[in-house]
Amino acid sequence: MINRNPYIWAGLGLLIVGGLISLPAYFLFHIVWLTALGICMLIMSFILVALGKAVPKLPPEVCSLLLETGIKNIATLIEELGIQSKAIYLPSSLARNRPQAFIPLHSNGSRPEITKALPQRLIARYGTSPEDIGLLISTIGSTATGMLDSKPGATPAELESALTSLFAGRLGVADGTRVVCHNNHIRVEINKPRLENGTSWSHRCLGSPLSTVVASIAAEAWNKPITISQEEQIDGKYCVELEVIG
Amino acid sequence: MRLYNRYILTVALSLLLTTVILIAIGQNSLSIYYTIYVIEALIITELYVYFNNKARRGLTYVSTMLFGGFAVALCLQVLKILA
Repeated sequence: MINRNPYIWAGLGLLIVGGLISLPAYFLFHIVWLTALGICMLIMSFILVALGKAVPKLPPEVCSLLLETGIKNIATLIEELGIQSKAIYLPSSLARNRPQAFIPLHSNGSRPEITKALPQRLIARYGTSPEDIGLLISTIGSTATGMLDSKPGATPAELESALTSLFAGRLGVADGTRVVCHNNHIRVEINKPRLENGTSWSHRCLGSPLSTVVASIAAEAWNKPITISQEEQIDGKYCVELEVIG
Repeated sequence: MRLYNRYILTVALSLLLTTVILIAIGQNSLSIYYTIYVIEALIITELYVYFNNKARRGLTYVSTMLFGGFAVALCLQVLKILA
């Protein structure tokens, strides 16, 4: 771990240099400002070592590899089935144990009404008609929801806090978020996103990776199914418009 | 990682700037330098609320250690006044 972590190396370097400067400066030369500078280095070294231990062990390249593979597999499945309807993001109460995305296989213009928990299967039935079936899949948002300390409440402030904590603190994929609610519409602005948003078929169905995270967490917070009605890039911001169903 | 780097840069710059200012005004007490460093580090750490649990736990240990040093410096000052 020490070999691969620049924070730990920098911390150890500053610890040695700080000790070498502050001790002789205080005990031998009696120079206060030089001792203070050495203490600065020691404080920085403690902080660097503490943060170095919190850096994920997996390199970002491996994480990117896993993410891309997962997204490509889902994209292939959706494209092969020729699905054109938009995904409905379900809270954990409607998807058994964690928020998931439900994609109806047949769309006749009306949105499916999901009122009870769906069976934990890839192909799930939500109604009595033979056409009332769809795909129940896990997205990045399903996993990301588990990274939150607690389930956010159904208020814009709590959703904003949860999303900023996740995007800026945990994942480091954006600088912050802003949430505005109006009736059953939720608008989320993501500042300076650093994750590419594709334009493939599967993205039109599921939404971009950031949108899936936003939709999953919003569905969990509101405890209601949610769809992504619109998403667009405006001046360094990525805006996601969600619609709460029911 | 970006958040970590921003935090480290903020702490480093504020400590360095404090040192320069205190040298410029001719401050000659090491306990004053240390007290200001500790207060700055604690305030900046508290302002960065979006760290993950592991990083926050590590920084809490550092803050406790720095506060311990501050308490020792305070005790020494009190003993000096009493003596």
